[in-house]
This record gives sequence, C-alpha cells and structure tokens, in this order.
Amino acid sequence: MKRIFMSIVLVVIMLVTSACSSREASAPGKEIYIALAAPLTGDYAQYGESFKKAIDLHVKAINEKGGVKGALIKIEAFDDKNDAKEATNIAQKLVSDKKFVAVIGHFGSTPSMAAAPVYQKGGLVEFSPTSSHPEFTSQGIYMFRNVNTQAVEGPILGEVAVNKLKKNKIAVIYINNDWGLVTKDKFIEKAEALGASIVASEPFIGGQTKDFTPTLTKIKELEPDLLFIAAMYSDTGLILQQAKQLKLEVPILGPSSLNNAQLITMAGEAAEGVYLTSNFFPEDPNSIVKGFVEEYKKAYGVEPDQFAAVAYDTLGMLVKAIETAGTDRKAIRDALAQIKDYEGVTGKTSFDENRDVQKAMVTLQIRDGKFVLGD
Amino acid sequence: MFLQQLVNGITLGSTYALTAIGYTLVFGILELINFSHGSVYMAGAFIFYILATQLKMNFIAAFALSAAMTGMLGLVLEKMALKPLRKKGAAKITALISTIGISIILQNGVMLLMGSETKGFPSVFQGRYFNVFGTDVAFIQVFILLFSLVLMLALSYLIKSTRMGKAMRATAQNSEAAALMGISIDSVVSFTFFLGSFMAAVSGILVGMYYKSIDPGIGYLAGLKAFSAAVLGGIGVLPGAMLGGILIGISEILAAGYIHPGYRDAVAFAILILMLIIKPGGLLGKPTQRKV
Repeated sequence: MKRIFMSIVLVVIMLVTSACSSREASAPGKEIYIALAAPLTGDYAQYGESFKKAIDLHVKAINEKGGVKGALIKIEAFDDKNDAKEATNIAQKLVSDKKFVAVIGHFGSTPSMAAAPVYQKGGLVEFSPTSSHPEFTSQGIYMFRNVNTQAVEGPILGEVAVNKLKKNKIAVIYINNDWGLVTKDKFIEKAEALGASIVASEPFIGGQTKDFTPTLTKIKELEPDLLFIAAMYSDTGLILQQAKQLKLEVPILGPSSLNNAQLITMAGEAAEGVYLTSNFFPEDPNSIVKGFVEEYKKAYGVEPDQFAAVAYDTLGMLVKAIETAGTDRKAIRDALAQIKDYEGVTGKTSFDENRDVQKAMVTLQIRDGKFVLGD
Repeated sequence: MFLQQLVNGITLGSTYALTAIGYTLVFGILELINFSHGSVYMAGAFIFYILATQLKMNFIAAFALSAAMTGMLGLVLEKMALKPLRKKGAAKITALISTIGISIILQNGVMLLMGSETKGFPSVFQGRYFNVFGTDVAFIQVFILLFSLVLMLALSYLIKSTRMGKAMRATAQNSEAAALMGISIDSVVSFTFFLGSFMAAVSGILVGMYYKSIDPGIGYLAGLKAFSAAVLGGIGVLPGAMLGGILIGISEILAAGYIHPGYRDAVAFAILILMLIIKPGGLLGKPTQRKV
C-alpha cells in the first residue's frame, strides 16, 4: 500500500516538474537567462540573500518596462555556500548550459577565484559584485568585479586612520582568509608608510570564533590609540560587544563590510563611534540612491545594505551590456568591458583595463545608533 | 592580564560546560552520540528569540516556555527519527547518522523560516559588572557559571535519587534486562530526550544572551565543543562534563592569548587527544566494562 502511494507521489512530482519545464521552453528567444551564484545557505547566506533581493527587484523593474528589446530577463539562483568546491561545480554546470548568457557571482574571493578557470575556459562572464581580492580579475578576461579591491580599499583605510583620524599606534584584528589577509596587509603597508606603528596583528577564524576576549585582553595591555578590524559585520558585532565588556576604550575603524544596520542592532551601544568606509550610503541625497532605497524598503521592509546596492548595480551593468551585445557570451564580455561611467546606486562606475573598478569611498561613523557621514 | 585571561577562559568554559551537561546526559542513558544536540540548542535560542522579541513576552515566561517547547521538539524528533530505528534493532551507528540528519534539517529549517543573518539577541543582564581583584566580571558570566553548577547538582540528584533516575540508570546499564523488570524503555528514552533538549535550550538561550547574538549556524561549533568537553571529562559523567568544559575553555583562551589565535582550537583538541591516549575514559570517567 505504502509503495503504491509512494509511486503515485513520484509520478505526480514528475508530471508537475515536466509540465513546468515544457511551459518554460515554449517561448524560445523571449527570455534571457542570467545566473546568480552566491551563498544562499550556510554561514554566508545573508549576503547571498541581499544579492538576490536586490537583483530580483531590479529585474522586476526592467521586465515591467518591457525587458531588453522585448525579451524578459530571468534570474536563476544557484547556492554555492561560499564554498570553493561547490562554486566550481556550479561553474561547470553554468558553462555547459547554453541558456545562461552571463553569471553574477560569486560572493567571496575564495570561491570566485576557484571557479574562475572554469568560466574562463567556457567563455562565460563571471561578474562578481563583491570579490575584492586583487588577484581575482587576473584569472582571465571573463572575470569582472564591481567593488574596490582590497588593494584599493586597504590604503584608503590606512590614510583615514593616519591622516584623518590622526592615529599612529594601531592594533589590527583580521579574519583569516584571502580577503582579510589582503585587507590587513594593504592597510598596514599604507599606515606604516605614513608613519604609524602596528602594535598587534591578530587573526581569527571567520564564522567560528565567537569569543574574542583573549585577543582583546592582549590588545588592551598594549594600549593602542586605534583598533582596526578587518572582518564581516557579524563577527565585528561580537568584537565590539566584548571590547566594551572588557572596557577596551579605543576608537575603532573598519572597512565597508561593516556597513550593515544589523551591526548596530547586534552591538547596540558598543557600536557607537565606530568609523568605517563605504561606497554606498542609504541617506545619500542622490535621486538614484533615494529611488532604490525606497523601492527596496517597500518590497522587503528593510533598508538595503551595500551588498544589495552593489548587486543592484551589477545586474544593471550586465543588462546594459546585453542591450548592446545581444545574447552572445563573447559579445557580452566585450560590451561589458567597454562600459564607462555607469550611473548606479554605488556611484559612477567604469572598468579599467584589468576589469577592476575604482569607486570613491566616504567615511561613515556610527552615532546615536545610525550611520552618519564621519567628519 | 593573566587573571583577566583566566576569567575569560572560565566564562567561555562554563558556556561549554552548560551545553556539555545535556550532551553527556543523553549519551549516558542511550549510549548515543547525539549530533543533533547543537541544532536543538540553536532551535531553543531561536524559539526564545521569537517569544521574547516578536511576541514580546517577559523574560521568565519566555525562558520557561521556550525550554519546554524545545523539550517537546526533542521528544518529537526522537519519535520520528530514532524510535523507528530502535524498533528495527538498527545498529547504534545508524542512530548516530540519523541525528546528523536531524541536525541538518533543523539548521536549514530555521534558516528558511527566520533567514540566515545574524540577529541581535535580547539580554536581561545588560551592562552589570563585578570588580574582582581589578578584573571586570560581567554579571552574566557569574550567572552562567552558577547556573551550570546548579543544573549539574539538580540533574545528579535526579539521576541518583528519583524513581525516574533509577529507571534511567537501569536502562543505561542494560535496556533488555530493564524492560524485563517492567521499565518502559520508550518512556525512559523519551524523558531523557525531553530533558536533554530542555537543557540544550537553556544553554542556547544563556549563551545567546552572553554573546547578544544568534544565527542558525551557532549549533555546529557549540555541539562540537560540548562533545569534546563531555569526552574530556568522561562521557556520561555529569561533573566530568562541567570540568571538561571549563578546562577546554581555559586552554583555548590561554592558547589564543599567549601563543597565537590560530592555535586556539588546535590546542584545545590536542589536549583532548592526549587525554584520550593517556586515560581513555576521560578525567572523571570510570574504566569501561565491555558487555559480553
């Protein structure tokens, strides 16, 4: 009896799924498929979700205006769990599935770089909104990014620390991965060149270390005048709270990865006074930014973070390339590389000859539970 | 600085101890390494989060209700994923793998319902400190330590001196013989799971309050550390879990503070491996007697 029931269920499932796929196939040429490859589950899923929300929003807006030359944009999301092996598997799949014209992804530098050779060989654009490792785009001519590399942001932070905040005895805590290492190295390089001394440089394992008290106790003993944190906001929230608990009273500076309202919710008072850089500021009076923030809030009830913002622009730039190039993978790559001064929510964006971007950054500070422009 | 590091270590250790007590309890009775303990711990913290922040219940009510609900969740999981295996007389390893499955389902289920981002967790202990010999000790740190001590004593009493405790010990010793003596194995196992999950929720909530944040991934490492603590102290022995937790916490903090943060887990686990080589039963464990 059970077996009969199970087979009926199976047959129904098969019928339903095949019905879906046949319906999708019935309108050839009317849809353009773009893949999103990002962490949708696992430790980094929150960033993949920001990507997806922003991209869905932008696609909806484009399709409501009639799509690209009459064809509707379709997004299919693939979950790489921010894992290099998963990312490579997804890359294989996307390269061989001819319906995808380009890929937005991946989130972290590590999976992006692991998957890069596959995309390069298959001739498919891998446009990462956030991979900031300097080596990412040198993997091949199909790799693009939409974020300042840590080689750009690290020195900006070093300058903010020494020239703007006037600090010269700096302690560093960094996340022990490709991203954290480069951010830390480039920051230290610049800060030391400007005359600051680095009194401590302490790593931690992202997503696993919840207890920072030994590191912070050590740093407190060294009496630095600035603590630089190269980490994601979720880890930083813990660091800030524990620093406050240990009465480590020192100004704190971090990269644009801290630009998330959850940091303030998590750390509360402990987040007061923290400095960070950013290439997206939701209260920006610019009309494009305003429109995006309003639409996003209306759709999801929360303010977009910079991950959402940069994904929004990434999709926009890709669609612009498709408008000029059509759906040929190689033509899209060439058109994308030509984009100059794209006006998006993260400012004007052009690619240089290495398919990297240089975006201006603002310094923000957390005051009274809000991000405001720092002085 | 050393004193402050020691306080840090004891605090971290008592969060492990608190989780390890529930872990070791289930193992002691069922001889089942319960890999879903960490996920149940996470689920308990999330239930509290929903009750306290979204339904705006007061602290005590939310705490009691979420622990009870998590206990029920443990009960249901046992009925669905473990009881059928027991009835079929499957090997212990099958049950162990089943608990891994439960843990994956729970973690992804919570992610689906609540989203995966890190959430700020409400705490009633905000910003209260003691000053002991020049080091600051947060109220919650002391509370967690005392609470795990009290729980350890209460559970020891429950197991040693109550009727249910006797039934639990009998089941632990030989479930077939216990069944022949008229003990309902099913209800003993159910009760143990209820208690274990209850404990998991309590520790999940308290640790969540300590770090003031939760995310669906917190159970993985908590489970691993609690497991290590339980093994180090002698699995199945309640005071052993407590001792093991605090030892792991202290060695981790000292390694991170004085050697290098990258070695914190390595040192903690190296101590565990050494312990197992020198004294396989754990610190307070009794020499195991093989049943023939």
